[in-house]
Amino acid sequence: MTRPPLRLWLLLGLLLLATLISLSAGTVWLTPDTVLDRLLAHDALDFEVWNHRLPRSLIAILAGAAFGLAGAIVQGVIRNPLASPEILGVTQGAGLALTVAIISWPHLPIVWLPLVACLGGAGGALLLALYNTGVSFSGVRFALSGVAIAVTLSSVTEFLILSHPLDINTALLALTGSLWSRNWHHVALVLPFLVLIPVGLCLAKPLNLIALGDEAAHSLGTPLSRTRWLAMACAVLLTSLGVGVIGPIGFIGLVAPHMARRLVGGHHQCLLPAAMLIGALLLVLADTLGRTLIAPSEIPAGVLTAVIGAPYFLWLLARFKG
Amino acid sequence: MRMLRSIPTLAACVLALSSSLLSAAPIDLNDGQHAVHLPDVPKRVVVLEFSFLDSLAAVEVTPVGAADDGDANRVLPRVRQAIGQWTSVGLRSQPSIEEIARLKPDLIVADLNRHQALYSDLASIAPTLLLPSRGEDYQGSLKSAELIGKALGKSAQMEARIQKNRENLKAIAQQIPAGASVLFGVAREDSFSVHGPDSYAGSVLEAIGLKVPSVRANAAPTEFVSLEQLLALDPGWLLVGHYRRPSIVDNWSKQPLWQVLGAVRNKQVAEVDGDSWARNRGVLASEQIAEDALAILKGGKAVLSQ
Repeated sequence: MTRPPLRLWLLLGLLLLATLISLSAGTVWLTPDTVLDRLLAHDALDFEVWNHRLPRSLIAILAGAAFGLAGAIVQGVIRNPLASPEILGVTQGAGLALTVAIISWPHLPIVWLPLVACLGGAGGALLLALYNTGVSFSGVRFALSGVAIAVTLSSVTEFLILSHPLDINTALLALTGSLWSRNWHHVALVLPFLVLIPVGLCLAKPLNLIALGDEAAHSLGTPLSRTRWLAMACAVLLTSLGVGVIGPIGFIGLVAPHMARRLVGGHHQCLLPAAMLIGALLLVLADTLGRTLIAPSEIPAGVLTAVIGAPYFLWLLARFKG
Repeated sequence: MRMLRSIPTLAACVLALSSSLLSAAPIDLNDGQHAVHLPDVPKRVVVLEFSFLDSLAAVEVTPVGAADDGDANRVLPRVRQAIGQWTSVGLRSQPSIEEIARLKPDLIVADLNRHQALYSDLASIAPTLLLPSRGEDYQGSLKSAELIGKALGKSAQMEARIQKNRENLKAIAQQIPAGASVLFGVAREDSFSVHGPDSYAGSVLEAIGLKVPSVRANAAPTEFVSLEQLLALDPGWLLVGHYRRPSIVDNWSKQPLWQVLGAVRNKQVAEVDGDSWARNRGVLASEQIAEDALAILKGGKAVLSQ
């Protein structure tokens, strides 16, 4: 039993290393000790590290962790390893709400975007819940109706973008998921994660019981429907808030929990933190690669995670025998 | 007496002080969003749209950096000739903030629509003008050019150039067959977007006395259309800029419906440079568009940039 915690520490070490690389990398490469010097000096005039790379990395860490954790929670609740917030309509609901807001109120202050996204994400989840009330809970029904809602919502988004070609740029950028132009103002917007993430981690024990099957969980005293609601609400908020600040970053919510399961096993006490760390690691790496590969041009982080995530998803599908 | 004697010294001091203040010529202007204060005539300018490069070219100022999508060939050739070399700061849609900061600019000109999210970062690097560029029409782009001229301390030169531009377009308007209807569109592999009367190219064509059909009432400046919609618009002249080859128009031209288009039957379909016509806006761009249109309608061919 000592191995999984050891691997968690290893992941934490990797995340710190990736963050250091992300702070060093850019149009000008800095040595790690210069980076540390500048961090200690935290000079407001130091644009590169203190005003640009550090806030970006902090947002990447928090949002990546939130996406990874939300994915692990959703997979735990639905007991379907192919589930993730982006195939339950949450991500797309948040995306649609953002698109409507950007097109209707182009001068809306960014402070409102996370709230708009949370409303949209909750709307998507609520549609899903409505469709699944009155019937006994079935993971497959839940996931399939989620996909249907997700596709419907994203097709409306697509229509809006096509019919407003001049707003495409802003809407598309918000919808590919990117850390471009994010700064300290946005760090303030992701601070609610510091509350949401511990709440999510507290779900580890009930999720372990749910993993045993509905009947076993019920007979062991888990209030099933309350736990499911709480867990889904937590996943919806984690995902939507992230989407509201940096846009939908695909596949992290799907891939991170899987990698975590392979590394630390299925116990949620280890699985949830591991999924968080891997989510953060993936997003920090995607952002660093995105802004260095073809600098000074940038590849949005969402495009890179999709490039890595899509083949992984296909590989999973091929192996999935459920 | 001592007081009196010190007066010339005092006067000399005042003179010296005022001349040093005069040599730094502060410029104050308002870009419509913010009051912008420039302590002196800017020497290191970074611009984030092609239309702003065009304005710099109009008064022969070379920027230190420009967002050029990593492909300087997209910029109008005559603009490139006028301003020479610059350092790329990446995509117009997502310019690299680090690269902009590294160039230590003393003036940044950014697009009101595209770079609003970036404003606080840009303003912390240098005084920043947010001006409309994308979706702007001919008259609007001249207003932006005027403001840029003011920011560069070259108001008079810019106004003279704009005046010359108006005369150039008027001269071309006199040679253009009156009332001809002309439609310009950009073809990609899978879409054709027509530039209506409110688009930049459309408004220049109207400024030289041509008619530009509108896709529908309250249409956006540019709209995607199908071949059937294009038939319904049935412009006298069809000018196509290809962003990619083979484009959707290359495919359309093999279909029977294509032959029904009036412009096709009358051999009034011509190719123009998509970059010059759709990605560039400004004083020089409007002259390029007007000259190309004149050359085509007078029976010659589009002047294609290499």
